[in-house]
Amino acid sequence: MCKKVTVVEHNSDTPSEQTISFAHNNLLDCLLTNNIPKEYHCKEGFCGACRTELIAGDVEYLLDPLAYIDDGEILACCCKPVGDIKIKA
Amino acid sequence: MHNKRANSIQNGHLASMKYTTFNQKNNDPLLEPMFFGNPVNVARYDQQKHNIFEKLIEKQISFFWRPEEVDVSKDRVDFQKLSESEKHIFISNLKYQTLLDSIQGRSPNIAFLPIISIPELETWTETWSFFETIHSRSYTHILRNLFGDPSSIFSDIVENEQIKKRAADISKYYDDLIFYTQLWQTLGEGTHTINGEEHVVTMRTLKIKLFLCMNSVNALEAIRFYVSFACTFAFAERELMEGNSKIIRLISRDENLHLTSTQHILNLWAKGKDDPEMAEIALEFKDQARDIFLDAVAQEKEWAEYLFQNGSMIGLNKDILCQYVEFIANHRMSAIGLGQPFDIKNNPLPWMNNYLNSDNVQVAPQESEISSYLVGQIDSEVGSNDFDEFEL
Repeated sequence: MCKKVTVVEHNSDTPSEQTISFAHNNLLDCLLTNNIPKEYHCKEGFCGACRTELIAGDVEYLLDPLAYIDDGEILACCCKPVGDIKIKA
Repeated sequence: MHNKRANSIQNGHLASMKYTTFNQKNNDPLLEPMFFGNPVNVARYDQQKHNIFEKLIEKQISFFWRPEEVDVSKDRVDFQKLSESEKHIFISNLKYQTLLDSIQGRSPNIAFLPIISIPELETWTETWSFFETIHSRSYTHILRNLFGDPSSIFSDIVENEQIKKRAADISKYYDDLIFYTQLWQTLGEGTHTINGEEHVVTMRTLKIKLFLCMNSVNALEAIRFYVSFACTFAFAERELMEGNSKIIRLISRDENLHLTSTQHILNLWAKGKDDPEMAEIALEFKDQARDIFLDAVAQEKEWAEYLFQNGSMIGLNKDILCQYVEFIANHRMSAIGLGQPFDIKNNPLPWMNNYLNSDNVQVAPQESEISSYLVGQIDSEVGSNDFDEFEL
């Protein structure tokens, strides 16, 4: 069973959604291979450039993230979804 | 002056303000705030109030590198091929970075160590500053290779108006905190007149100065390096000055970690997870914190203008560099709850990320050799069949 990642984009007033399948090493790879732009620097969880808002669902970390993450935020470079998730682009 | 000092001693203030290198009070470091509690006594890392700093120390140490490990000899040939305007860009950036790391190699130690109260933050600060000194040493390594005698470059750092302007703005918050800490340590809280100037020292004003200083340091680590990083990597995209680029990659990896630490400190305060008074100050001085960041953004844009005053370089110009500063600023400001003040949504220099990632395997194709490697990796797993081939 492939996990689904729903990406919500808030451009102007109308939010648009697209859903992609997760079959990658981490969430960042999944977004980038689906041509969804996501900023990243270190790819090792210490810089925080790939900080992403998690709207629904849960993720697990592949390594201990050192970057500051606020409540409701995740680091795309070092996590993967536990089930289906919804994130902000 | 003399009377005030005498008063302080009488009131017992002086004894409590004075810094001690080994606080003999048997305090519980887990109950201390990050700053302005008891001075640290035992350097112990088995327990931490904020374990993030222990993790940052470990990570930073794992990044250890020496400038001499990077071969910059080919850069000398490349440098001769650069146009005059490109030489101006390259050298000016090195001067600016030399300034930044001159400040960062000492200031966190001098400003923060006397007022830090938990061992993990104390050691993190020392580790952080030490790495900035490696960066400073690497600039000497780069410049010595290019010029033989780099004295004129170094002396221009204290003469060049553009650099001096930035130096003044960066060091003023540190200097202010350091001076007030010194007054507090020697004279205690109160109104003190020094050289005819009156200074009101209270714990509140000290904490406000600390808050503003930390915001200034955070802005420095967050964006002040990025204009020069972009220029360096733009040269590397053309396969020029690649030794320099390799060094700057190592520096940018360190700077990202330093930024993470200042973001953690600011957020621990703002979220009320450390000193409750710092949470109040974070709220009360949010506009000043934002102004400090926006001033740094404006200065970086001015710097881009200065760099390109004699002409652009291939792949970069002033406008795109200014957009990149805004893009980075949006990211960095939202990380500390200051919102995203600029309209820009997409990264105008997407290739920058190839140089800013610290991936051990995937290296930018422009690199002539892999700059990262494993040090001290020992396989300590011993299985029962590992000795099968041995015979006695």
